[in-house]
Amino acid sequence: MARSYRWRGGGTNAIATVVLAAVVSCVAPIPARAQGASADPNPGNLTLTAGIDYTNAYLFRGIPQDDTGVILWPYGDLGIALHRGDGAIKSASVSVGMWNSLHTGVAGLDGLGKLWYESDFYATFGLGLGKGTNVGVTYTAYNSPNNGFLPVKEISFKVAVDDSGLGRASVKPYAILARELEGQADGGAGEGTYLELGAAPGVITRPRLSLTVPVRLGLSVSDYYEGANGDERFGFVSVAGVVTVPLSSMPTRFGTWNVHGGVEFVRLGDRNEAILGARSKVIGSIGIGLSY
Amino acid sequence: MFVMHQVRRMACAMTAGAMLLVGAPALAQDKDPNPGAMTVTASFDFLNQYMFRGIRQNSTGIAMWPAVDLGIATYSGKGGLKSLGVNLGTWNSLHTGDTGSDGASGKLWYESDFYASLGFGFGGGTSFTATYTSYTSPNGSYSTVKEIMFKLGVDDSGHLGKAAVKPYVIVARELSAELDGLTNGQADAGLNAGTYMEIGGAPGYSGKKASVAIPIKAGFSLGDYYELAGVDNKFGFFSIAAIGTVPLGGTTNFGAWNIHGGVEYQRLGTTTQAFNGGDKNQIIGSIGFGFTY
Repeated sequence: MARSYRWRGGGTNAIATVVLAAVVSCVAPIPARAQGASADPNPGNLTLTAGIDYTNAYLFRGIPQDDTGVILWPYGDLGIALHRGDGAIKSASVSVGMWNSLHTGVAGLDGLGKLWYESDFYATFGLGLGKGTNVGVTYTAYNSPNNGFLPVKEISFKVAVDDSGLGRASVKPYAILARELEGQADGGAGEGTYLELGAAPGVITRPRLSLTVPVRLGLSVSDYYEGANGDERFGFVSVAGVVTVPLSSMPTRFGTWNVHGGVEFVRLGDRNEAILGARSKVIGSIGIGLSY
Repeated sequence: MFVMHQVRRMACAMTAGAMLLVGAPALAQDKDPNPGAMTVTASFDFLNQYMFRGIRQNSTGIAMWPAVDLGIATYSGKGGLKSLGVNLGTWNSLHTGDTGSDGASGKLWYESDFYASLGFGFGGGTSFTATYTSYTSPNGSYSTVKEIMFKLGVDDSGHLGKAAVKPYVIVARELSAELDGLTNGQADAGLNAGTYMEIGGAPGYSGKKASVAIPIKAGFSLGDYYELAGVDNKFGFFSIAAIGTVPLGGTTNFGAWNIHGGVEYQRLGTTTQAFNGGDKNQIIGSIGFGFTY
């Protein structure tokens, strides 16, 4: 029987997604505001986003990975703005990046003798359409340097709507459909297909502080949450509160830095509950981020 | 017999050399899209052979080297300390041959290195850099090697112009010898963690449309770096190369891109010759592209 941490991981898990999204969305407006002040240290087409987070537990799409010891998530993303226009396609971009999970507990040093549990590489092609609609396709290779899980290769599609035009009523809904090409997140019998529906409304959006309340629902379209009773449709539902505080009001020569932290409540399906040994989990995280 | 595992760096040297030569002249011509304190450098190279400090890493197939580096200029001044910089990066080697997708693991990703450097720039073009590197093998070809390296270099182009040779010396010490059933955390798979020294220079010519560098270097063991059958052989390798770099246009909003390629000849010592199947010589060809932003 596989050990608990062997139910492999995958790049952006629950809170990682929350924090990453929050970091990008909260940080992005700041350079824009500062443009008039000609303080942008990087007016070109490449954008670097990076950070490191600490968390008490790692659940990948509701699938428990580890909740012992210290868990650190260093990540970096290079975004390339390929096109901006006023036609049907408002923007086109490519981003490549790495996401990592370092563990001192059972999935890392204490259990496998090595810290580096997960290393993911991804590449995304995104298009910005009218009315705030964005579509993207992402290829992700999930690897485990300490052999905590077998490699997984996945392609995912995302549709998101930035309805910020609605002001405080905006919810920024999105849907993700991911298909495993090789390997499996659940360690089951067949490659699975995953569907995530979510939204990330911003409750407070101020220059010196932002609070977002991401809500997510993870479902198996087929074979994504395989357990003793076959494939379970419901994987998890989560709600989080993420606070981001910029460390400066204007971009510096070193970009725009922030401190962010959040708490996420995750309610699991039967299959994931059986692995975790609990129906729900509260996950806390804190980290620093950079956008340049 | 141990595998020809272990790591690179000649790769880095070649790429970095190419980058340095390319970048400067062309960059100054156009508007800089990134006037801040951070610089991204990346490259992707194809080679017929991967030799890490003279130690052969693959016998068949090709090697591909994707690499990315983030440089942070933390300080610049006019005092004794002219500059202070931090670099973080990853360097990778993907193999199609016997130590990659055609090998026992069936996996392409032979090597993945993470490094962090702290560099000090002094007067007269003198620089001192300390680098920590973790060499890992995603396809399990060798065990992780951790190393601390110190480099002293002189950019004498301010004094000698086109006659500059840009000499440098490197001393690297393996920090750990992890035992994980593969090898023992050493480049030579020997009995003890080793200490390496490299002496080199990179004279070259840089024009508006192209540049050429002639890197020369020699690698030695200061202690247990080139172990063979219990004997540490001092001389590891001597290398001379020619690297041409052609900028792809000027600097745009996407940075400054280039295409580069080169040929390197290596003369191997006793240990490295044994690792090379008994062949005393090795020719390496490479071509790739890179960018600085």
